[in-house]
This record gives sequence, structure tokens and C-alpha cells, in this order.
Amino acid sequence: MSLLKAEDITVRDGPATLLEPLSLRLEPGEPLVILGETGSGKSLMAQAIMGTLPPGLEAKGQVGVGKHMLNAAAPQRFRGLWGREIGVLPQEPWLSLDPLMQARSQIAEAHRLVRGLDRPNATTRAEADLAALGLAGAANKYPHELSGGMAQRVAIAAARAGGARIVIADEPTKGLDAARRDDVARLLLSEMGQIGGLLIITHDLALARMVGGRMIVLRSGKIVEQGTTNQIFAAPQHPYTKELLAADPENWTPRQRAGSGQTVVSTSGLAVERAGQHLFSKITLDIHAGEVLGVTGPSGCGKSSLGDALLGLLKPAAGTITRGSEKHAFAFQKLYQDPVAAFPRKRTLGRTIYDTLTLSGGRPNEVDALLARLGLDPRLLARRPDAVSGGELQRVSLLRVLLRNPSFIVADEPTSRLDPITQAQVISLLTEIAAQDDVAVMLVSHDAALIRNTSDEVLDLGPHGVPDTFENATDVRVGT
Amino acid sequence: MSTLDFATAPQAQLSPSRMIGVVLIMSVAAVSLLGPLILPGDPLAQSLTKALAGPEVGAPLGYDHLGRSVFHRLADALRLSPVIALAAVMMACAAGLILGTLTATKGGWIDKGLVMLADALLALPGLLLILIVLAMVPGTVVGFWAGLSLVLWVEFFRLTRAATRETLASPAVQASRLLGFGPVYIFRVDIWPEIAPMMLTAAAFGTATAIMAIAALGFVHVGMRAPTPELGLMMVELLPYWREAPLALLSPVIATFALLLGLTLLAGSRET
Repeated sequence: MSLLKAEDITVRDGPATLLEPLSLRLEPGEPLVILGETGSGKSLMAQAIMGTLPPGLEAKGQVGVGKHMLNAAAPQRFRGLWGREIGVLPQEPWLSLDPLMQARSQIAEAHRLVRGLDRPNATTRAEADLAALGLAGAANKYPHELSGGMAQRVAIAAARAGGARIVIADEPTKGLDAARRDDVARLLLSEMGQIGGLLIITHDLALARMVGGRMIVLRSGKIVEQGTTNQIFAAPQHPYTKELLAADPENWTPRQRAGSGQTVVSTSGLAVERAGQHLFSKITLDIHAGEVLGVTGPSGCGKSSLGDALLGLLKPAAGTITRGSEKHAFAFQKLYQDPVAAFPRKRTLGRTIYDTLTLSGGRPNEVDALLARLGLDPRLLARRPDAVSGGELQRVSLLRVLLRNPSFIVADEPTSRLDPITQAQVISLLTEIAAQDDVAVMLVSHDAALIRNTSDEVLDLGPHGVPDTFENATDVRVGT
Repeated sequence: MSTLDFATAPQAQLSPSRMIGVVLIMSVAAVSLLGPLILPGDPLAQSLTKALAGPEVGAPLGYDHLGRSVFHRLADALRLSPVIALAAVMMACAAGLILGTLTATKGGWIDKGLVMLADALLALPGLLLILIVLAMVPGTVVGFWAGLSLVLWVEFFRLTRAATRETLASPAVQASRLLGFGPVYIFRVDIWPEIAPMMLTAAAFGTATAIMAIAALGFVHVGMRAPTPELGLMMVELLPYWREAPLALLSPVIATFALLLGLTLLAGSRET
């Protein structure tokens, strides 16, 4: 019997249909993945099934949970199911834990209030839950003492404490690096076991592939394709699915190595510390014009700090950085992970671009040429940074940087917040510019596949990449 | 220039409560500035026969215990305190902005020293500080201006310092620096738009605080000296006659209340 059955779920905002009639079934032991980009309606669908739609939006359709049959139009009746039948794993779970509560109490609270156990029993159960997740030693720890992965396990235990057999995970890997992403996927699968139901909402193709089961591809509130995950990955039918899968960095065709030009920047025996913490040492590298250097590694390994050191924003702890013969003093530029934060918040993009143009003494038709080259609509320039989509804004950042006629661009996770298709566009523009304008690019990403398929040289700052002590270190050499 | 003809940002709409604040302040300003022009009169001229008399054409708010026109005294008082308050707020705002930006940019011992000074000033009661300055500086008006500036700059300084530090650490400023923009551009484009709304709020509150301080010291006879018309002084002078001339006492009370409410409403609802 299906754990969860949703029939003809629609979501409307007044006259606008946000989600067209959609039906799905969740079977025990078989995860269901809803794949779609931002704005595809995947989160709305989950909210409609749980009865947590924001006010103003109305849902229609039938939701069957176990023996209960509910009307999606009357969300107040769903309340009784929360925690007991349906558990929700929130986005970025480490933010959803109470910072003033120990791990044991977080879980015991759910046992006590949702399942109705008394205090001693709830505590015993919470300890058993923690032990089952390999967290027996963490019972007395506060969230800030837990690592990200541990916090995630605590959040899962709390979500499951009410006895819910169905777990809905909304973007469970948002903001995680590759290694942590795989951990989360494994954890969710093992938690589901043979009898539980798991519904995962994501735009992360790698997560979808790991989870397997069945998959629904959503786009603008419509089902584009559905079937078993393996089958869709092996032979996508719909053009959109094909485009989406082709945008997965795993499936990119590796870049042809460009002939490298002059040395733009080189380091020798570089060591970097940030806030007193040692990040890496003895890095020797040469970056040449027209070359893409990929830097990868888990979060916190010093990828961004290496970029900042090369840009002169961070003083190295040891070693030297030598700039080649550069065109002018401001030839080293940076692209940011969150482009919205990299623009003056209250100024239209056009004014910021115009200021940059005036500063570099260019002619206005340069902007027109770059807009066309980057595929940007000139009307975007009348807007403020927060009124433009992430992919467009990242291209506007690229435009601003190119106006300065750079010789070296550090792109610090430039696409980690973008959808796969947009990510593929931005990255291919970046590598194209490196080759055509003879610009050296240092591309920083936690996505090893992306780096592998776009870079001429790869520097892995992960635990296996760079020895992390001064004593027994051998030099890491790239491009020398 | 085709693509760079960008639309100007739409004008921010005043919220209803802010609108009420503006109307209140404008009407108080109208009474104090236009009143004496329409109805000329001397705020200091006494005519003891009319002491505590009711309103008449030449004195719409009646007469005080010395037979002076309450209307003309009020109009005068409503020019005096706000002018001192505005001058003090402007001085405090300028000092706070300059020192706040300086400490946020430079850091180090300048930062430590100024923060310590600001904290020390904050620990003293504001009125006491004003009294000390009043005792040292010749001239009550200048004394009030200096004392109020000394009390008020701390808030502008702390706000500017906190907001500027945060903005300076943002990617937007880092990007501007990498592109080669100078400190003036960064202040104008990145920092000022972030702190300007806070400055306006702080200035409105600061003006209200200053007007209240002048009135409070006048009320306890340690501020402005008689016969200068001043809001607090007028209230305390008329207090013994509240039974005989309630309107004369209520006029400065209502005017002060309207002015302070207007400033608070103007400050309170800020949109960012």
C-alpha cells in the first residue's frame, strides 16, 4: 500500500496557476525525487502536500496519508499529521536547531510533545535515537559544538521522533560540498529503511542520482517527465530533461587545453592563515594568460583564501606572490559567490556599470558590445541588483569586471547558487572569455566534476591534495 | 548612450504615520514663523492690567501673569528651542559621521580611544553634562548648543561606526576597491546609502531629545533665563495660575507635545 498518495494537486495564486494538476505516489522503501530548478513549483508542491502553503495561495486535490484521506483545500486538517505521519527535514537543518538546547533535549522535546511520552521516557528514547545514529557522545552538546553532519543527524532524529514514516526533505543538500552531500544522501536512504517513505525535493542532479528510486521532473509547475531515476538519467525523453542532464558538470565535455601564454601570477612556497587558523602551506604555482586553473576541495580548506591572497586581499603567512607584467594596477579582479552582495545595494546596475566605465575611461559602445556578447538584455541595467535573477546578475558582474580589461579573474564559487542550466551558461562564458581575451581565470568550486571538466590545471586543496603540516610537507606544484 | 539611459528609481512613498509627523511639524513651524507676520506683537511687552486675561484679537491665546501675549511668546519659544536643537543635531551628526567613519576605516588605537570616550560620555546623565557645559560656557544659547552636541554625537558615532564596519567588510566594497574606486566613491555609493536612513531617524530623535532637554532645564529654572520666552520656562511660570488661565498654561504644553510627537513619528517608521 502506498504511504502517500496525492491526486490532482493544484496550487493557485488568485487567477495564476502555479502548479498544474499533479499526482504522485510514495511507496515504502522506494524514494521519490522531485527535480526542478528554482521557480519550478517543487517546494509549493511539497507545501501543498503538507498543508503548509503560505496564506494567499490555495491548493486543490486529495492527499491520502496512510488511512487518512484529506482535502488539500483545507490545510488546517493536516496539522494532526505533522510529526506523527509526515516528518519534515528543513532546509539547512543546522539553522533549525535551537541554539540553546542540547542535542538530547532537542529530540526528547519532540518525543514528549508530539508522541506524548513523559519526561524520563522521552529522554531515554532520545538517547537511544542518538546512539542509533552514532551520536551517543553528543547528547550533551549544543548545536554550535556539533559539526554540520552531526547537526543534520540530530535534526533528522528530531524530525523522526514523532514516529513519522514519511520524511519530506526540501533541498537537503543546499549549501553542502560534495563529500557532505554524499553523506546526507546515504543517511537519508538508511533512515528510510525498508518501510519508510522518502520524498526529496532538489535541484541537485548528483543527489538525485545517488538516491535513485523514482523521479518527477518539474518545470514551471508542470510535470515534464517521470519514471525511474535510472531510466531518466540513462535515456531522457523530453528536451528539457535532456538539457538539464547535459548541464550536469559530470556530463560536460572536458575543455580543450589552450596554449598557455605569459605568466600572469606565480607563487612560491605560499602558506595562508585566516583568523589565526593554518589553511595550507608550500603551494607553488604559475598561472598563465588564457589558462583556467581549477581549485577544489571541501569547505573550509582555504580555496577562497588562496584567491584572496593572489588578489592581494589577504597577506600570506609565508612564501611569495609575484605578479607578471600586468596591464595596469587593477587588472586582478574577482567574481563573487553571491553577486547580489557584490553590487551597491541601492544603485541601479546601469549606474554602477557606468561608474566603472568612466573609471576605466572606456566608451559607452563597449558596454553595448559586452551586453550582446554575454547575452544580456540592456533593460536589466535599469534595475537594482536584487531585482535580477542570479544567473543574469553573475553575467553583469562579469561585464563589470571585463570593463576593467583584466588579466586575471578569481571566480569564487561563481555558480554554486545557480541552477544547473544557468551554471553551464555562466561557466562556458567564463572559459570562453579566458581563451578569447587571454585572461587567466582561477575557478574555485567545491564541485570536483565541474573543475575537472573546465580547467587546464587542477589544484585540490582537500585532505588528500595538500599535506597540511609544515614539517613533512613536500611542495605542491601546479603549472610550473 | 542607448543602454546606459537607465530609469531613475521611483520616489519612496511617505508612510501614513510619517505623513502625520510631517504635518504636525509643519503646523508648529507655521505658527512660529507665519504667526508673528500675520499678527505682529511684542513677546516681551507687559501690560499688567491684562494679566491672565482671556483671548482677544491681538492675543489669540490670552495673556500671562505679567500681561504678555502668550501667542507671541509661544511663537518666539517655538523658534528658539528647535533652532538650538537643530544646530546641535547638525554638529553632532557631522562629528559622529566623521569620527565613526574614521574609526571604522582606521581601527587600532583611534578606534579604541574614541569608543572608550563615547562609552564614558554615555555613562553620564545627559542633563548633567549639559549643566556642566552651561556653567562653563558664557551665553546660554551657545552653552546649550555645545552641551547638546556633546551628548548627542555619541549615538551618531556608534551608528556610523557599526554600519560602516559592516559595509566595509562586504563583498560590494571589496569589489569596488578591486575595480579601483577611491574612498570617496566607496563612501558615497556603498556606505552613505546604508547609513543615511539611520541618520535621519537618529536626527529626528536627537532633535526631540534636545528640545525636551532645553524645556526640562527651563522648567527647573536652570536653563534659559527669564524673560526669554522658552517652552519649559513658560510652563513653570504659568503653572501657579492653572486655575485662572488654563489656556495660557496649555498652549506651550500642547505645542511642545505636538512638536515632539511630530519628530518621533517622523523618526519612527523608517523603511530601508
